[in-house]
Amino acid sequence: MEQLNNERPMVMHIDLNSCFATVEQQARPMLRGRPVAIVNRRTEKTAIVTASYEAKKYGVAVGMKLRDAQVLVPDIIALESDPAKYKYVYRKLLNIMNDYSAHVVMKSIDEGVIDFRQADPNVRSRQLEDIGMEIKQRLRDEVGIWMKCNIGIGANRFLAKTAAGLNKPDGLDVIDSTNLRQTFDKLRLTNLTGIAEQYQRRLNKAGICTPLEFLDAPEEILELVVFKGIAGKQWHQRLRGWEVDDYKSEVQRVGRQYVLEDFNLSRQEIVQRLHHLCESVGSRMRAQQKSTRGVYVYARTLDGEYWHASHLSELPFFSDQAIFEFATHLFSKAPDRIKEIGIHCYKLQNIEDSQLSIFQDEIARERAVTSTIDTINSRFGERTVHSADTLGTGIYVNTKVPFGSTLYL
Amino acid sequence: MNDETLLNERVQVITVFGLGAHQPCQPVKFRRANGREIKISELGLRHPRPTGSKTIHVFDVTDGGADYRLEFDSHRLTWHLTMEADHYGAA
Repeated sequence: MEQLNNERPMVMHIDLNSCFATVEQQARPMLRGRPVAIVNRRTEKTAIVTASYEAKKYGVAVGMKLRDAQVLVPDIIALESDPAKYKYVYRKLLNIMNDYSAHVVMKSIDEGVIDFRQADPNVRSRQLEDIGMEIKQRLRDEVGIWMKCNIGIGANRFLAKTAAGLNKPDGLDVIDSTNLRQTFDKLRLTNLTGIAEQYQRRLNKAGICTPLEFLDAPEEILELVVFKGIAGKQWHQRLRGWEVDDYKSEVQRVGRQYVLEDFNLSRQEIVQRLHHLCESVGSRMRAQQKSTRGVYVYARTLDGEYWHASHLSELPFFSDQAIFEFATHLFSKAPDRIKEIGIHCYKLQNIEDSQLSIFQDEIARERAVTSTIDTINSRFGERTVHSADTLGTGIYVNTKVPFGSTLYL
Repeated sequence: MNDETLLNERVQVITVFGLGAHQPCQPVKFRRANGREIKISELGLRHPRPTGSKTIHVFDVTDGGADYRLEFDSHRLTWHLTMEADHYGAA
């Protein structure tokens, strides 16, 4: 069995907990100390994107419907998300983190990792707890006094993130080989990042019910019985503080989804919203200098049915029009009573790598038109030029908070 | 549940520049179209909102009784009051 990593912990995880709600409370002092929920649309059916700590105290959780939260907290204040504000705070945090190491990775809009192992010797010689306190202070000075962040320090990314979750909302904790077992003893399996209910069930089946039992489980059991593959070996190392999560992921697909603002929309109105999503996805994809070969569309119905269809083309394409043509063709077979739609492009490739086609002139013309539209939109603002079909959809389908990837921030 | 009033009101603003590296520009007072003057007690957050190649600087401020959003158009050099939220129900 592999030993615990007893090197000095050199990875710091920084998490702006309840980020969007905290930023709104920072921006609007009258909201401080009050229960706040951030939503993407101010309707009762909308789901909560973030809740302030004051709201969480009463049981309000992310993903909960606003109307359910209003039962728990009748005076909850619902605010529509304001992505420009959150992107600004994201960049401020990123700038602060970059001052300490060149090895900074933002995991999402509200959390990032500083790897100090290759940082400047002057920085490395300092106590990371001191640097953590300094970052907290800088966040208050450079963004505002209401800003709080959780900081965790560990020997690898996993332990640093686990440490960051120990004392919310303003904690600073270290997990190293000397307190690893005591820390795990206080946690549940689902407190560990990457272990949700499905993995918990698998672990339970193998007789592993606590993080400590998970830590003590033989590598072979994890690899052969629980995870049935290399993931078992990685978990064995991850739990002991060895780094297995330091890798760059390539963009595999670009997509967007949309919960309809009204479940009684006609098919034509739904297709217009799909068209809007296609334009949005196309623009994001081209901003990454990518074209696509695949289009995948899906719909969820009010009855809980999940319908999907996809098309894989021989040659890559990149224009909004081409994406929309494939998407509408696929969508013609979608069921009725739709609640949510989504589209993503997959099998992406670099635009310059695209194979030449015998219809080269046509492609060159399409590329010129698309590139001109992108340039106009970049100069005069998103959706300055778009299809006439989506003239009326902007107020509904506008881009909201970008979760996950930080590519578009 | 929410008491925001969205506006697009041209306002006159007195602003101080150069208060520090982290706060290069701070509005201190503004006069609304109806002549009412509002003294700003705290700048909550300033953030830029890029609109194509143009930038709007958004200032979320309070006078201690209500929250306001002031927007400075760096292209036209104009100020607008775009949001007022004057009460939030029971504390």
